[in-house]
Amino acid sequence: MEELIRLLKDGKSRTLEMLAMDLGTPIEKVKRDIEFLEHAGIIKKIEFAETCSPGHSCDGCTGCGTGDKACAGCMPEGGFKNMGTMWEVK
Amino acid sequence: MSDSNETVIALLGQPNSGKSTLFNALTGMKQHVGNWPGKTVEKKEGNFEHNGRKYLVADLPGTYSLSANSDEEMITRDYIASGKADVVCILADSSQLERSLYMLADYAGITVPCFLVLNMSDVAKEQGKSVDAGELEKKLGIPVVSFSAPDTKSYDIFYKTLERAADQKTVLDPKNLEKRYESIDNYDRIRTLIPDNVIPGYSKTWLAAKAVEGDAPVIAKIRAAVSGENAKAFDEAVSATGKGVVVSGQCKFEWIDELLSGTVNKKASSVSLGKFDRLITHHIWGKPVVVLIVILGLIASFIPALPLMGVGQLVAKIPDPLNEAMLSAGCPAFIAALVCDVFLRSVSFIVQMLGFVFGVTLVFGLLEEIGVMARISYVFDNTMARFGLQGKSVMPFLISFGCTMGGAAGTRVIDNWGQKVLTIALAWAVPCGAAWAVIPMLSTLFFGAWMPVIIAVILIVMILHMWITAKVFGGSLVKNTDRYGMIMELPPYHKPKWGALFRYVFGRTKDTFVRALKVVLIVALAFWLLSYTSTGDITASILYKVGHFIEPVTKFFGMGWQTFMAFIASSLGKEGALGVLSTIFTGSGTISVGSVVGGAAAENINELLVANVPKPEALALIFAMTFNMPCIVALAATYQETHSAKWTARIALYYTGVALVIAGIAYRIGLLIW
Repeated sequence: MEELIRLLKDGKSRTLEMLAMDLGTPIEKVKRDIEFLEHAGIIKKIEFAETCSPGHSCDGCTGCGTGDKACAGCMPEGGFKNMGTMWEVK
Repeated sequence: MSDSNETVIALLGQPNSGKSTLFNALTGMKQHVGNWPGKTVEKKEGNFEHNGRKYLVADLPGTYSLSANSDEEMITRDYIASGKADVVCILADSSQLERSLYMLADYAGITVPCFLVLNMSDVAKEQGKSVDAGELEKKLGIPVVSFSAPDTKSYDIFYKTLERAADQKTVLDPKNLEKRYESIDNYDRIRTLIPDNVIPGYSKTWLAAKAVEGDAPVIAKIRAAVSGENAKAFDEAVSATGKGVVVSGQCKFEWIDELLSGTVNKKASSVSLGKFDRLITHHIWGKPVVVLIVILGLIASFIPALPLMGVGQLVAKIPDPLNEAMLSAGCPAFIAALVCDVFLRSVSFIVQMLGFVFGVTLVFGLLEEIGVMARISYVFDNTMARFGLQGKSVMPFLISFGCTMGGAAGTRVIDNWGQKVLTIALAWAVPCGAAWAVIPMLSTLFFGAWMPVIIAVILIVMILHMWITAKVFGGSLVKNTDRYGMIMELPPYHKPKWGALFRYVFGRTKDTFVRALKVVLIVALAFWLLSYTSTGDITASILYKVGHFIEPVTKFFGMGWQTFMAFIASSLGKEGALGVLSTIFTGSGTISVGSVVGGAAAENINELLVANVPKPEALALIFAMTFNMPCIVALAATYQETHSAKWTARIALYYTGVALVIAGIAYRIGLLIW
């Protein structure tokens, strides 16, 4: 697991498959370690902004400036939903 | 709730381990739901009888482990420590034992009787996995049952295992795990300092492991139970453990792997990337392939755009006959010009532009649906490192392809202020949705079949622009040490959901239409008013005078005063340039309203533009507009996100200057070609 953390800190990005190949372990174990590190607070899942810019105002948008769900102008509804999952070192 | 005749079972497991299914199957309608005292966490208890024996079941909150990271985890371990449970039923998902046995590993060292349920055995079987529950029993020292909770016919074996655990009071043997803990620095020292019975039911092994992990409530309880030299020694040992949580976790996973070795059979699987993934992650071919996909996507966008472009061109044929008809019907020339020159010509441009919005959104929405966009973002994610940015900056960039304002808002996930500002600064170089509508349209208009080449060059210039901008601003905003790696779990490829995709595409097209109509009409009206003279003498208009005054400077950047006005208007919104173009050009290079009022025959706006704007100047305009400040709203969003008027102004001035420089270069290259 320490080797995994070292790889995460080297500034390069990798897919889970690439991490498994670099570490020479099955992908299930990489997923397990990622899950553990996330729960331990060492890495965090990236949650992309789905709220409008503070102070921004669009017609008919209830989310603007309130921190609620973003309007289509700020984050297209239905867009960027199938972009996979990302984590980063905290 | 419980009476002395009842055997109390606590169900313990991670989320999705099948705890609720088991609870419902055991208790049926005999359930009581409430909250745990002082918490908003749901508490579920229920009763059942089997073989004349009464049971009370407590469904503990689903948690990853028994650490002190959440209310749910604290409730779970406090309940176990309370001594209310006679036996703990630990559930694990048979289809992924490597990870789901972590709860069992975290339980090791607790002396409350327990047994292990390997749930979802049917799923594991489908995956070709078989588990030797008997062998696991020998290794763990507790009863182990493999079954599937939804299969109500298989519960006999569960009841027998439960009775065995309750009657024999079987306790999990932590010996092998403890041997691994002993390799952790300071573990032995901490363990020897822990007095007996600090928390009932929790052994010194468990408490020492949690202390190593930095578990604050456990450390506090131990600290309260020791005094004098021991307290000092305990504090020193705990503070010296450092990365204890990682090392302890590693011990638990090694213990799990040892448990599973020889007890689980499964088909060997090797890690490999699919053909397409191998191609796009190739260190040489990856980026060219991705750029090629983007270019092909833009070319493909042209196909669904064609019908709407045709409609837009039909609309462009209406103003001339309508203008004549209105004038002959006695309509004032001012009104006729307003309707025909401002409104209809603007609508013509907007409809043509919408074709590209529809096409681009459809094609790139489809690429996202099937899982290709995530791969594209991965390829460019590694490029982020060269810009000195976090990998997650790639998402604001991708959002900026739709809307720079959205991209700026997307930088909220970036904690480091310098990286956030740099990400926004670079996101401005990404052509937004409006640019992807206006630029292909103008490129097609002026360069016909060469449009894809223009788009390809724009993408190359975009990357170069981002690289130079990162060099210009990066030094003062980002340190190399701020960069960390990122992990991506790429989504699997799958078939698109056409209904959802088209709802998204039509929604975006409608939003763009409404926005473009507002921007184009306002800009067109403003420039038309600035160019209007009652006599028809265009040289008397404000716009003409200002334009001729600045033209010696604008020529240096490859633009005449008319196209420079379009460039200025594009600062408000890319569509604004269309408003200017549709208003001020005429066949003689003067201003349309003057010609119309004067009775001259106006041609189709597309033909007018091609006839009056030389190709090098058109090229300069296209590049200047593309890399100009995205729009006035993006400027406001940048200020809102950076909270820095200085950096917002710096970025805006930089982009205006760079756009003019790029335009000048494009113009001179154009002169060499045409």
